[in-house]
Amino acid sequence: MIHINNLSYQYPDGTLALDSVDMSIDKGEFVALIGKNGCGKTTLVRHLNALLTPTEGSVSVFGMDTKDKSGVWNIRQTVGMVFQNPQTQFVGTTLEEDVAFGPENLKLPPNEIRKRVDRSLREVGLLEYKTHAPKALSGGQMQRAAIAGVLAMEPECIVLDEVTSMLDPGSRGNVLDTIQQLHQSGKTIIYVTQRIEEILPLADRIVSMNNGKIEFMGTPHKYLASVESDIPAITNLMRKLKAKGFDVRDDVFAVDDAFLEILKACDKRKTETSDNG
Amino acid sequence: MDELFLSYIHGNSSLHRLDPRTKLVALMIISVLLLQTFTFPKLGMFAAFFVLLAYLSGVSKRVFVRSIRPMLVFFTFIFLMHLFLTEGDPIFQIGVIRPTFEGLMAGTLITTRFVLLILFASLLTATTRSTLITNGIERLLRPLPLKRIGLSSFDIATMMSLSIRFVPVLLDNARQIRYAQIARGLDTRHNMFRTISTTITPMIRESVSTADELATAMESRCYQGDFRTSLFELKMRAADWGVLCGISGLAVLSFV
Ligand SMILES: Nc1ncnc2c1ncn2[C@@H]1O[C@H](COP(=O)(O)OP(=O)(O)OP(=O)(O)O)[C@@H](O)[C@H]1O
Ligand SMILES: [Mg+2]
Repeated sequence: MIHINNLSYQYPDGTLALDSVDMSIDKGEFVALIGKNGCGKTTLVRHLNALLTPTEGSVSVFGMDTKDKSGVWNIRQTVGMVFQNPQTQFVGTTLEEDVAFGPENLKLPPNEIRKRVDRSLREVGLLEYKTHAPKALSGGQMQRAAIAGVLAMEPECIVLDEVTSMLDPGSRGNVLDTIQQLHQSGKTIIYVTQRIEEILPLADRIVSMNNGKIEFMGTPHKYLASVESDIPAITNLMRKLKAKGFDVRDDVFAVDDAFLEILKACDKRKTETSDNG
Repeated sequence: MDELFLSYIHGNSSLHRLDPRTKLVALMIISVLLLQTFTFPKLGMFAAFFVLLAYLSGVSKRVFVRSIRPMLVFFTFIFLMHLFLTEGDPIFQIGVIRPTFEGLMAGTLITTRFVLLILFASLLTATTRSTLITNGIERLLRPLPLKRIGLSSFDIATMMSLSIRFVPVLLDNARQIRYAQIARGLDTRHNMFRTISTTITPMIRESVSTADELATAMESRCYQGDFRTSLFELKMRAADWGVLCGISGLAVLSFV
């Protein structure tokens, strides 16, 4: 549904932020986009809803070219975007007014807006807070509100750009749970993050960027197998065990998988020693 | 700033249910009438009218008291100015200090008028959520030829609600910047000009980035600056027309 063809982007000041990027995203996929500070993640995802348009190459969303001015509002309704800072994307004086902002811009009638606002707020678990002012909401609740605000426009795809980076661990978990539910309900998710651990269990595909280029694209397991550093603690532990001669896979990242692997390896050792003895 | 200053108090009174346009127009008419009132009996009538409306609104007295409080210094200042600077019969005289009976009258009259203005305004804000006020203003402005100055009534309404949303955030930022500077040993509390200059630079930087992020977020939620609908529907009912007729009638009466 999203096709990125040979995309390059240069900021007006001359910075080449993207350099010949090629990539396609399927409907219903969960893609995690990772990479160091300044590697071009934000620049890339801002092309997906026509906030930026290519200097070279092209981006098409459901067959609509993002360079085509007439399709911009259609594209933005199809690809919703949630940003890093909870404060500066909350435009309403209450939660429900904020969620209504998108549908109001789509010129929907009041009763339809009301339906969508209530449905989206229920989906992110904030319906009971609907008349609350932003001051009365936590950072995590505000990020879920931002997700509801995007959902109310009924997009096919939701892009989340480092949405948990300003949150405490508890709220981060809630936001991630919400995102996982959205994915399960069929939405396409593009999730930008610097925290590889939080996304490995959720993503179908990891895309890693470096210096404006795509460096790696593949499943979380393949990704782990391909990198040396910056790996989750569990993977690190498995690598150390393997180095000590334990027969374990070193591309796992979930506690349960690691637990099973270690149990298996221990059983094997036991049988081996009893065979010898 | 005080939480209850001109804030919305949830309720379902007949005043809450009036269309915001009705309340806005009524407030405008009442304000004009008030500013043309020069006698105590007439002011008393306005005060009685306010008490009646406040009772109907079901909003607690505290809210109105809190709405007056931030203005007290201003009111006192106006009152004293009139008391001491009006020519007329002196109440007493010590040197150049010379309050007059005429000044006492004028001061009381004018401050009462301001107090009543604020009270009527707080009645509007207490019974109307801010979105409805901005929606109401948008509808009232819509017939004006704002296009000529490059604006739409929707732009104005959005600007107003964004101000309501972000002015407290910016003030809060300013406070945090101040604390951060004090914590680092830059204590300018005794030097107002330095406080202003050292706070304002980071504040402007912060506001610009806030505005930038806000604009991006609004654009990606399809904000186009032209016609948009609203979660809350405005609807003039019989009661609205009744109130408007009543108030206009009063206005006409008071002019003849
Ligand atoms: N508005 C801009 N004008 C000029 N250069 C920019 C602008 N925004 C970003 N850049 C530059 O483009 C490059 C890519 O930035 P981008 O924000 O896309 O990176 P990122 O991967 O999202 O980084 P982060 O993890 O910090 O969010 C960086 O070198 C950055 O300095
Ligand atoms: Mg970024």
